[in-house]
Amino acid sequence: MRRLMNWQVNQSDRQVSAGIIEGCRQGDRAAFHALYQAYKDKVYSISLYFFQGDAAAASDATQQVFLKLLTGIGQFRGGSEFSTWLYRMVVNTCLDNAKAGRRRARPTDDAVLQRIASQGSAEEELARAEIAGKVQAALSSLPPKFRLPVLLRYFDDLSYGEMAEALNCSMGTVASRLHQGHKMLAEKLAKLRGVAAGR
Amino acid sequence: MRDDKPPLGPIESGQLPLVKAPDSIWSSILASLDEDRAPVRRGTHWWVLAAAFSLASAVVLWLTIRPKPPSWEVSRLDGAPSVGSRRLTDSGRIAVGEWLQTDASSRARIGIGEIGSVEVEPNSRVRLLAAKPNEHRLALDRGEISAVVTAPPRLFFVDTPASTAVDLGCAYKMKTDESGSGLLSVTAGWVALEWKGRESLVPAGASCRTRQGDGPGTPYFADASEAFRDALAAFDFQKGGSDSLRVVRGEARVRDTLTLWHLLSRVGRDERVRLLDRMVELMPLPQGVSREKALDLDADTLGRWRQELAWKW
Repeated sequence: MRRLMNWQVNQSDRQVSAGIIEGCRQGDRAAFHALYQAYKDKVYSISLYFFQGDAAAASDATQQVFLKLLTGIGQFRGGSEFSTWLYRMVVNTCLDNAKAGRRRARPTDDAVLQRIASQGSAEEELARAEIAGKVQAALSSLPPKFRLPVLLRYFDDLSYGEMAEALNCSMGTVASRLHQGHKMLAEKLAKLRGVAAGR
Repeated sequence: MRDDKPPLGPIESGQLPLVKAPDSIWSSILASLDEDRAPVRRGTHWWVLAAAFSLASAVVLWLTIRPKPPSWEVSRLDGAPSVGSRRLTDSGRIAVGEWLQTDASSRARIGIGEIGSVEVEPNSRVRLLAAKPNEHRLALDRGEISAVVTAPPRLFFVDTPASTAVDLGCAYKMKTDESGSGLLSVTAGWVALEWKGRESLVPAGASCRTRQGDGPGTPYFADASEAFRDALAAFDFQKGGSDSLRVVRGEARVRDTLTLWHLLSRVGRDERVRLLDRMVELMPLPQGVSREKALDLDADTLGRWRQELAWKW
């Protein structure tokens, strides 16, 4: 029997209420839908950039993450640990799918990434959209162990501790990988800006 | 440091736009959730439905208010498995302390609380040891199970005569024979095999043998060469010694550093130097990992090294 409740997730503080968790545990599809609506775009975006613009791979990964979430949500009672656990599932699903070869690594599709960059920005100058596409291509060229921490940091406001839990490593390793990932990106972006300025 | 936020990095706002997830994803999720729903039968008289509903409500109320022992749901997949002394015809429950047994033609599925499921293959015997929110535990006496778990790590455990499999968020198969020896094969995530202070960490695509009295062996990837696997088994369970390790080192590929890393703490210093040298040939030591500390089996050093190696496993 469905309960008629209007669930809302407060995205500003990433807190998921115990009520939503309980609703999902009880099979309340409206509660699950609210949770899905709150996180779907972040999960999809992280997956999409991880799989270098492969929308089918990103859709597969997103679907798997939310189905796993519904299966295991009974273990949580709400609170800040929820998003950490969610992102851990995102990390594991992306890595497992990439490793299992379900989506083989393919050359970065710059045209796809440029289309992503220009979505909803019809008024942006073409040059800025082109640079944004190349930024995403630069990100896609990072090894997965540097790409994932950068994506998690960019798309959500996680602390070192939360990122360490999501990535299943120590905080020191998080700091090291982010530092190296940002450094590699900065070097690639400096070259791109130099190219753009010279136009 | 725990609550501090890391720096944002060189990517400027808007350069990684949030992308709207396609509507088709939610449709696919709904389709998966609705897969097992039975169709509504047409043509049933309303009074039959009303009577059935009233009876069902009374039964549900009684089942809800009476105290229940902890138990998991069990469903029959093939044949007629038994739970305790009861034959399972469709579905039922297995309570803590009860055995589930399958014969040559039967299979069953056990729901692990709300975190996953275990399929029990023919000629198997399993017992439910604990069904608590922070501990879900089975014993595999003999036979084979396949587990799929979606939960934080270290909530689901399978005890066998030769080790305990600790779920770290995964899917795996576990076999145990009449002698208590077994084989774990992981298909997703990680499993830790633990026994008397010894731990083998097994990732997806890898396996690990166990032997009663010896505990878990050394994990290896299933696609390692036959010579590699045979030599490893000889080292783990037949006192193969230096001869076996020579073959293991010689046959090792980059991803076989999984095996070599575990062997570091299972051999003497001289062999450890040879293993480490071979590992460095395959993959240079990462920054911050000291050769001397690794040879001294410093736990932090080995942990950091494993985290870097794992990207190639």
